[in-house]
Amino acid sequence: MLSVDRLSITISKNTILEEVSFSIPEGATLCIAGESGSGKSSLLKALNGLIPARFEKLSFHPRTCPAITHKGRWQGPPGLQQSRWVMQDPIAALNPRLSLGASIGEGAYSKRLSGAEQDKAVAAALDDVELPPALATRRPTEVSLGQAQRACLARALVAQPDLIFFDEPLSALDAIVQKQIAATMKRIQARYGNTFVIVTHDLGFAATFADQMLVLRNGRMEACQPAKMFFERPASRYCRDLIEAARDLGSLPQDPLMADEGHQ
Amino acid sequence: MTVASDLSLTEEANLKQKQHGKNLDRFLKNIGLGLVISGAIAAAGFFFTPYAPNAPDFLNRLSPPSSEHWFGTDQLGRDVATRLLYGGVWSVGLAFLITLIGAITGTLVGLAAGHFGRFADITLMRMTDSFFAFPELVAAVTIAGVLGPSTANMVLALILVGWMKFARLVRGLSIDLAHRDFITQAKLNDLPSWLILWRHILPNIGASLLVLWTNSWSRSILSISGLSFLGFGVQPPNAEWGAMLLSGKAYLQTAPHLMIFPGLAILVTVLTINLMGDQLRDLVDSRSTISE
Repeated sequence: MLSVDRLSITISKNTILEEVSFSIPEGATLCIAGESGSGKSSLLKALNGLIPARFEKLSFHPRTCPAITHKGRWQGPPGLQQSRWVMQDPIAALNPRLSLGASIGEGAYSKRLSGAEQDKAVAAALDDVELPPALATRRPTEVSLGQAQRACLARALVAQPDLIFFDEPLSALDAIVQKQIAATMKRIQARYGNTFVIVTHDLGFAATFADQMLVLRNGRMEACQPAKMFFERPASRYCRDLIEAARDLGSLPQDPLMADEGHQ
Repeated sequence: MTVASDLSLTEEANLKQKQHGKNLDRFLKNIGLGLVISGAIAAAGFFFTPYAPNAPDFLNRLSPPSSEHWFGTDQLGRDVATRLLYGGVWSVGLAFLITLIGAITGTLVGLAAGHFGRFADITLMRMTDSFFAFPELVAAVTIAGVLGPSTANMVLALILVGWMKFARLVRGLSIDLAHRDFITQAKLNDLPSWLILWRHILPNIGASLLVLWTNSWSRSILSISGLSFLGFGVQPPNAEWGAMLLSGKAYLQTAPHLMIFPGLAILVTVLTINLMGDQLRDLVDSRSTISE
């Protein structure tokens, strides 16, 4: 369970994010939506300790950490050691000179596994993300984008984290691959009960995945609702517009009831 | 298995890249082979030559190229071909050593400047800049003036003025890399900074380093020959290409082969290494544009 109380980010007197609060029960999924520049990615960076943030309280099972103010330098995630982050561009997120197996193995570095144990963990993670074991010896440039993103997912999984952050995990991929990887993510969550925090543009994807919706706009919280309620009765005019826009683009079904069905 | 349809997406781009990786691999193998072959020929030369590089033969002074002495003999009757072989060890080998030490020093300085905070960065890079302020020749002449002309002092001078380019390149590239996603991932995965430098930064700047290194290798050969020609480098009677040019200078009218062959040796060697570096750079550049 992750709960964040009034998190704000201020970088050189510019307020990037103002008093964002949310909480997710264990094993559930929070989708963060909003237009570009609304602070979605900054929120993820702050939660990973990459940029300084203030908060009243940030508690994360099993750890609770008091208010921490980061100074300019990177100091590591505050109390979120059991979390991993899957990024948007899998090619940028993988070292081009390292085999996928080695990259995935780094996900478990903090566990100090022996060589054989690590190989076993990597093989298990590859199996979880439905990649053939032979891919472990390939370089990121020698596999497809979808396979590379699966490898990133495997790197996140290999340490068996309680919490996985996703920053637009599917937006670099084409529609079919998006669907397949979304299905894989669902299976993983069902099997291991990880909590997911997913930043996404795609409300259609959010509708099928989210338990909780958080909508940001210009660094402010526009809505934080259970997903079912969000798609039926959005909290604000802006959210309604967002949903309308997604319907017009065809990424959400026209009938609200159908969106409801897609949501478990 | 759901991966089958993932395959088609970027296959074309991947194929191109694979092809490129193969080109680079093949090129590096060719270079390796070339170096082994030329090394073997040089070693065979040492083995088969009947002459010693510094043994005078006063009956055969200044004789032109013949079947006995392929490149003729010099003013003391020493075999020019043999001296070229031994001189090559000085020219090419010393230049190799100097640039290797320069590359290692520069890489360490550059990595330290790029990764150990602002203070280290400013201190080390200002130090690098001040070293840049000394022209190679002036530094070498100064050191020779203070410590006396000798091979060791020349090497010292060339090492002192040769490492900065590496420091700058490595600092720039590694700062650029440090913002890439895979480095962020490595940090989030708790990798210590030495392991990040070793596994993630160094392998990704290796190709650019290699290009710069071939470039400074050939420049260093020219510097050694130039300094020896001026009398600040390898001292007689040791054979070195620049020193051979210097001693042949007096006989330019009567025995031009004393200057032609060492000159050709310098030309061919430097040209070869430069061409090798150019081709390497083309391969590295086009590869990086594909992956961007």
